[in-house]
Amino acid sequence: MSEINPGLDTDAIAMAIHEGEESKCKKDGEGRTALARFIKKTSWAAKASGLGLALFSSFLAMAALSSLLAPYDPWIRFEPYLWPGEEHLLGTNDLGQDILSELIYGSRVSLIVGFGAALMATIIGTAVGLFSGYFKGTVDEILMGLTDIFLMIPQIPLIIVLAAFLRPSFWMVALLMGSLWWTSTARVVRSKALQVSEMGYVRAKRALGFSSLHIMLSDVLPNICHVVMPKFLLSIASAMIAEASISFLGLGDPATKSWGMMINFAFSRGGFINGYWWWYLAPGLCITLFVMSVVLVGHFLEEKEISTLRLE
Amino acid sequence: MSRLGAAPIDDPLLRVEGLSVSFDTAMGRVRAAQDVCLDLLKGETLAIVGETGCGKSVVANSILQLIPGNASVQGRVIFSGRDLLSLSEREMAEIRGREIAIVFQNPSLALNPIIKAEEQIAEPLQIHSHLPRSLSIQMAKDMLRRLGLGVGGVAESFPFQLSGGMNQRVMIAAAMILSPRIIIADEPSKGLDRLLARQVAEELSGLRDKMDASLLLITHDLLLARDISDRISVMYSGEVVETGESQAVFDHPLHPYTKALLDCLPQRGFHPIPGASPSMIDPPGGCKFYPRCRYKHDKCMQRPDMTEKRCPNEGMDREVRCWLY
Amino acid sequence: MSLSGKKALRYLVALFLIFSLNFAIPRSMPGDPLTNLLGEDVMLTDSYVLELRAKMGLDRSWPEQYLEYWRDILKLDLGYSFHLHRSVSDIIFERMKWTLLLAVPALILGAVLGALSGARAGWKSGSCIHKMETAFFLAIYCTPPYFLSLIVLYLLSFKAGLFPLKGFYSTGSAVDIAHHLFLPMTMMTLFSLSRNYMIMRGSVLQEKGSLYAAFARAKGLYDEEILFRHVFKNALLPIITLLALDFGFILSGALFIEIVFSMNGMGSLIYDALLSRDYPILQGSFLIITIMVISANLMADLLYSRLDPRVRWQ
Repeated sequence: MSEINPGLDTDAIAMAIHEGEESKCKKDGEGRTALARFIKKTSWAAKASGLGLALFSSFLAMAALSSLLAPYDPWIRFEPYLWPGEEHLLGTNDLGQDILSELIYGSRVSLIVGFGAALMATIIGTAVGLFSGYFKGTVDEILMGLTDIFLMIPQIPLIIVLAAFLRPSFWMVALLMGSLWWTSTARVVRSKALQVSEMGYVRAKRALGFSSLHIMLSDVLPNICHVVMPKFLLSIASAMIAEASISFLGLGDPATKSWGMMINFAFSRGGFINGYWWWYLAPGLCITLFVMSVVLVGHFLEEKEISTLRLE
Repeated sequence: MSRLGAAPIDDPLLRVEGLSVSFDTAMGRVRAAQDVCLDLLKGETLAIVGETGCGKSVVANSILQLIPGNASVQGRVIFSGRDLLSLSEREMAEIRGREIAIVFQNPSLALNPIIKAEEQIAEPLQIHSHLPRSLSIQMAKDMLRRLGLGVGGVAESFPFQLSGGMNQRVMIAAAMILSPRIIIADEPSKGLDRLLARQVAEELSGLRDKMDASLLLITHDLLLARDISDRISVMYSGEVVETGESQAVFDHPLHPYTKALLDCLPQRGFHPIPGASPSMIDPPGGCKFYPRCRYKHDKCMQRPDMTEKRCPNEGMDREVRCWLY
Repeated sequence: MSLSGKKALRYLVALFLIFSLNFAIPRSMPGDPLTNLLGEDVMLTDSYVLELRAKMGLDRSWPEQYLEYWRDILKLDLGYSFHLHRSVSDIIFERMKWTLLLAVPALILGAVLGALSGARAGWKSGSCIHKMETAFFLAIYCTPPYFLSLIVLYLLSFKAGLFPLKGFYSTGSAVDIAHHLFLPMTMMTLFSLSRNYMIMRGSVLQEKGSLYAAFARAKGLYDEEILFRHVFKNALLPIITLLALDFGFILSGALFIEIVFSMNGMGSLIYDALLSRDYPILQGSFLIITIMVISANLMADLLYSRLDPRVRWQ
């Protein structure tokens, strides 16, 4: 007997079974306003990523609009070691510079390093994964071997050693980190590229004689975008923590004040001993919140990808 | 909604009364099953047949409360004097595997790939009967032997090392090891070739005989259903449309859908049914089969009840959901 | 080449690469290679400098230097620190045991606790308590470990005076050591725990919806029985390698925590070496740390291939 109509209904049931997993905490919202009802109906995951997105955008705004938001130029000196007060909402550091302004301008550096490193890592990772997954065979073996090796090298110690010698500017730091972090992106891109390159339309194109490069760019690449996005975001998070870590050791760019450098100064210039907690609390909180926002959005996208895979 | 007509001959082992299952999805409310009524008698094989997506698997899984949390289930499933749908998860866990067992489709995925076959079969013994591990493994191996898999180190193998047919038998062994009173087999022949499918079905039947259990067989394979089951229930778009003795339903189908379904068989000429199954999200009122029915008339806009029809040549009564009767 | 052969090759290549990097970095960085090898601000007489140059082979060709370098490595000679007036290997091995004392128990405890609680959280993902637990560990996961340690140090040691401010011990008794180690060990465990928690939770969430879990339930297994008899093993396997890779990250975190708590281990060693530009120490530390991380990876790899029958029975 032939299957007469498998279409819509089995899909509907399959989707229902999948959604059943997610909606256990949901109840029929009877909120008074439309907004309240909307908030009640969305799942926790969506709410969390919404919060993440909101935080993320605020930090981006902070970096872009630093000159508008900061009350003073962070390099101007006032009276040092002032407690938070009206004039200086977060007090001043050991050189008398306003900490709030430092914080706001610092977002630029931290974000640029984070994005720069993540971008570099993603580009390298995507290229490696793409070539590996598409060409397979020896190319795959070599590239994956390379990936494994890079994965094994502990990244932060290596960056510390290199930074100790090179005394790099923050651009260099971003570059260095990017050249070490591409591995997880490469792995994910590779498995997706393997999948796509086996699909009918890609094989057809190959048979028709299109060049490999063309196929990779026009067919495989668009399909891996939504796999790469969450990895990109999570790389930003790792890069920011790493940048903060090496700045804490004093290896950051002294000409620019990233959040990590602020914590370093607080620790090494008497901020800690004298109990000026606001000096290191503010930048630390900023790092944490920004990383959290990125992780929330990135995790949400990743889980969405996994759940679409489950349906297929 | 109650059925019309006299009570069945024996007291049924399992009675499904007015089972309705619907899911809330992003696409709308999916009505997977509507007012399904079934009786499973002691020692019989009841086959539920229908096309893919008609809701038969949903019904089978609902009996053991195995469907996901976002489903709303109404109706009753009476077993041993209790309504299974009202029991808690812990109470259900006592019944599953011990008194009522189910065998899923897709055996290779239903078994844990990294746990040995014999351990997975022995598990119900450890969980329900609290037998020590060594004894339970011994009994598991015996069970496999009865299913013809005693040699070749199958017991110590992992599911990824075994074929689909072998895995199916491992799953059956795990389901049967505690001699449950009811076995639910959800498309046991799916993914297997014709010969193997028949073998598996016959094994199920044979085991059922030995254990004096009842078998609820879910399948889309009409011929298989006819051959090994005593009674057949035909489902269409979430509803039961006809129930009766297997051979009788085959020889003299009453419901237009059953007639059309049988006509699809290669033996009867391979005539497909025109049109498509209705959507389960926005079901049309009235008889579900109305748009595609050959015998339709205006009354069919109203949903018919299940009626009993006496057939003097046959052993038991037939039930049909059609205005023709 | 067999699979394990290929793996072994990768490890050997990685080690080889690291050692060669260690050779190449000081000699290719800007500045006088001698300074890069000795460290800056080292006070030596001119004649001694010439002697050193000859001894270190800097006047010879690169390939010769390279061979010389390997000979030294095999003798476990990692160079000499002119700042601390001792051989690098001596200093590192002495300090390393303190770092390991801090890191290893925390790592193991964090891994076990993180895996178990992460598994439970993934299993009962709908429960509101577990959602809050996840939010908590997520916050810890996102916080730079040294920052959290700073705050805790400030609140509990500085302000409340409950714990000592620095060092591994004052008097050397076991209780005293425990008192000193408590805070840094807790922070390390928390750090390791949060990472393992998030990874395990994700893995269990993925495995939760599988058909074999549903079949286990259909056999009459109840709730956590399904988790621990089935899902846990399946969820743990793919992340063993992930956890091993994390070891490197966690060890790096240990260094930072040591610095914050002024402990006498590798972390402070590296921090001081950075301040005084003592390059031999930095390089030696990097080498040793990398070897440890690679060994951890190797062990995890071996463990994985023993545990996963799909790999064992290829």
